[in-house]
Amino acid sequence: MKRMIAAILLIAVAAVGGFAQEKVTLTVMNYQQADQAGYPEDVKIWQDFQAANPDITLNIEVLFNDPYHQKLQAYAAAGTMPDVFYVWPGARSAVIHEKKLAKDLNQLLGSAYLKDFSASATNPANQLGGYMAMLPQSFTYTSVMYVNTKLLADNGFKPPKTYADLKKMVPKLKAKGIAVAMLPNKDAWPMQSCLFSTVVGRMAGDEFLDAVLAGKAKFTDKPFVAALEVIQNLYKDGILSREDVQIGYGEAAGMFASGKAAIYIDGDWRAGAYITDKASGKALISPAAQDKDFALMPFPSIPGEKNRGVVSAVAGTGWAVSASIPAGSAKEKAATRLIQYLYSNDVQAIRFNTGAYVPTRKGVKADVEPLVAKVPVFYAENPKTCYVIDGVLDPAVYNVINDGLIAIGLGTKTAAQVAAETQAAYESWLASK
Amino acid sequence: MPNRNRLHGEEGRAYWSMVLPAFSIYLLVMAFPIVLSIVLSVSNYSGGKMFGGEPWGFAGLKSYARVFSDPLFWNALKNNFYIVLLSVFGQLPLGFIFAYIIYRRLVKWPGFWQGVLYVPNIISVIVVGLLWQTIFSPNGPIAEVMNNLARAGFQSKLEALFASAGGFNVDDGLVSRILDMAGPAALDWFSDPVPELKDLILSYEGAPLSELIGDLCNLFVPRWSPEFLSKPNIAMLPVLFVILWMYTGMYLILFLANMQKIDAQVIEAARIDGASEGQVMRYVILPALSGTIVNSAILAISGSLSSFSLIFAMTGGGPSRVTEILSIYMYNNAFLGRPNLPLANAISLVMVVISFMLIGLTKLAEKRYGGKEE
Repeated sequence: MKRMIAAILLIAVAAVGGFAQEKVTLTVMNYQQADQAGYPEDVKIWQDFQAANPDITLNIEVLFNDPYHQKLQAYAAAGTMPDVFYVWPGARSAVIHEKKLAKDLNQLLGSAYLKDFSASATNPANQLGGYMAMLPQSFTYTSVMYVNTKLLADNGFKPPKTYADLKKMVPKLKAKGIAVAMLPNKDAWPMQSCLFSTVVGRMAGDEFLDAVLAGKAKFTDKPFVAALEVIQNLYKDGILSREDVQIGYGEAAGMFASGKAAIYIDGDWRAGAYITDKASGKALISPAAQDKDFALMPFPSIPGEKNRGVVSAVAGTGWAVSASIPAGSAKEKAATRLIQYLYSNDVQAIRFNTGAYVPTRKGVKADVEPLVAKVPVFYAENPKTCYVIDGVLDPAVYNVINDGLIAIGLGTKTAAQVAAETQAAYESWLASK
Repeated sequence: MPNRNRLHGEEGRAYWSMVLPAFSIYLLVMAFPIVLSIVLSVSNYSGGKMFGGEPWGFAGLKSYARVFSDPLFWNALKNNFYIVLLSVFGQLPLGFIFAYIIYRRLVKWPGFWQGVLYVPNIISVIVVGLLWQTIFSPNGPIAEVMNNLARAGFQSKLEALFASAGGFNVDDGLVSRILDMAGPAALDWFSDPVPELKDLILSYEGAPLSELIGDLCNLFVPRWSPEFLSKPNIAMLPVLFVILWMYTGMYLILFLANMQKIDAQVIEAARIDGASEGQVMRYVILPALSGTIVNSAILAISGSLSSFSLIFAMTGGGPSRVTEILSIYMYNNAFLGRPNLPLANAISLVMVVISFMLIGLTKLAEKRYGGKEE
């Protein structure tokens, strides 16, 4: 009798095991900041996936800023890359692209899936490794002027169209204790990414950077020095305040919203900082004020510019799948399902709604606040784009530019000195390759 | 340690069974990283899987050559030496003097002062860094005081100027004098300074004079902070001040603890023989504590060279890398932008060598000038 019961139990266990779905565990590295608007929505996105996919277990590690990059680098060195992770299309995630640590999403997702995304997002040429290691969720304009039109009108000014318009504002606004423009640069990258890249695009053009990279031009050539001089003049003419160099990136949005500056220069992603935080119900700028008192504009025309109206833009961040997952495995299928979910219309609509970015997925509709709604309009009105410097140059070179721009802001180095240092760094980097 | 001949026996097996676990852990967590660091510093490893991935090989002393040819290295080394000098010739003497004052009860409530001086040590380094960063920021209290002082001075000059002009009587002469007071930098804000400023001032007609003077102060009084922090030679001063403030208390405790071991009768005898407090300190306490001083100096030197978190939290090495020290320089090469681990490891090994050299110097100084600690 005992033997019979044991045999029945054995058969039952075998049958259940045979018919049950194979459970897959995916390790995920997510890039999020817990005190950032949009975090509760992000948590819900992952919870919803988990609830709808009980056959997949997600082990999610959440980090932000440098700790994220350091840990990903450590995983890369140890050969234990997470299954799904967040990456940059350029030099910020250089190791991932150059060592081909991520699968080619073009093959994994297929052209039928990718046709729903903009051409700039699916163009492998926009990624450092020359293949689709990740799928950019957005195509980011890194240089946008957030203009407080009411504050300007109260002081008798219209939104600036030329550099001279900006300069004209200096005495009157400064006298009222208002900065004409604010660009916090303590963290070194904002000036390069959010203004200088556009200025280089206007004064020198992408063809100049291409020529430098091809060894046919130098950073000490006139167009690049002229671009640095524009930044030098912004401080000298009082349009930017030298104390901006001491202001951290996170501090400035609140200062602008409280009227300490008439213009705030940042990337398009910063629109999300001003809209209503769903958790607290508070906004740095109320939706009504976003609608009628604020505008998004490109940097005004600069004397001597050769490419009028270009704005720096780059493929945005996105998700990648580890190259170490065996092709055709259950894990690869699970990772593909997760990626397709993360880029789905619903999830992208949530991201758009929180002001994180304007999705590269076509036709995503969301009920966004006025300032976020102005971002795609800004794209449409400013179709001519140029390189973002940290997207095309190596960190060994663009870090020198970043530091040089701070020194220009402090008034301790001239444009010519920074240009010479950049050229020296470039030559040193070339020699080390 | 058991006799070498007996290690083959049961005793030997017992010996190794007890030593081997600790020895293995030591090899794994101490020796292996050191050896790996040396290997990486002379390699061409460029990221990705370190073992079993793309092969990497020997690159010679290329990374070391790059370290020594980089002006940022020399700037970081200079800043580190400032910290070493401050630690050895600032924290140690101050800590010693404070310890002596408390030990000899030359102040009231010695326990209170001991606590006050030690408190910065028990606060998180990151909190201290952020606290002082705020204090020295352009919107911090020091900037506020300095800006208010500058504003008060400029305001009184403007009031005198308008009083001498008989109130709101604006002419080119008055405007020129205001521009002279403002300095040459302010001229760049105007395309045509005198008429433009005159127009601006005339737009205040009918408004209280105090409003005009207040706004002219907003316009022309220079802000204090960035000017101060931008100068490479003095940008380290706030950092050095905070390091002095934070760590002096630790040496105070070290010295005080060792002073308490000195026989009080020796000091009493010296005092009865007519020695002053200064002579007691110089001829009794100082020689008795020479070993402690050397050990403290070694602690100070190694701590100074490896310090990271305080400066990272306070300035991050900025502005424009003028306050960067070797550890931050190494961190930037290891983790920022495209990581360069061979270079970062070369920097860390250079730091170790410098540390050994300085400690050797300290030992030599003790041999030459130090007394014998009982």
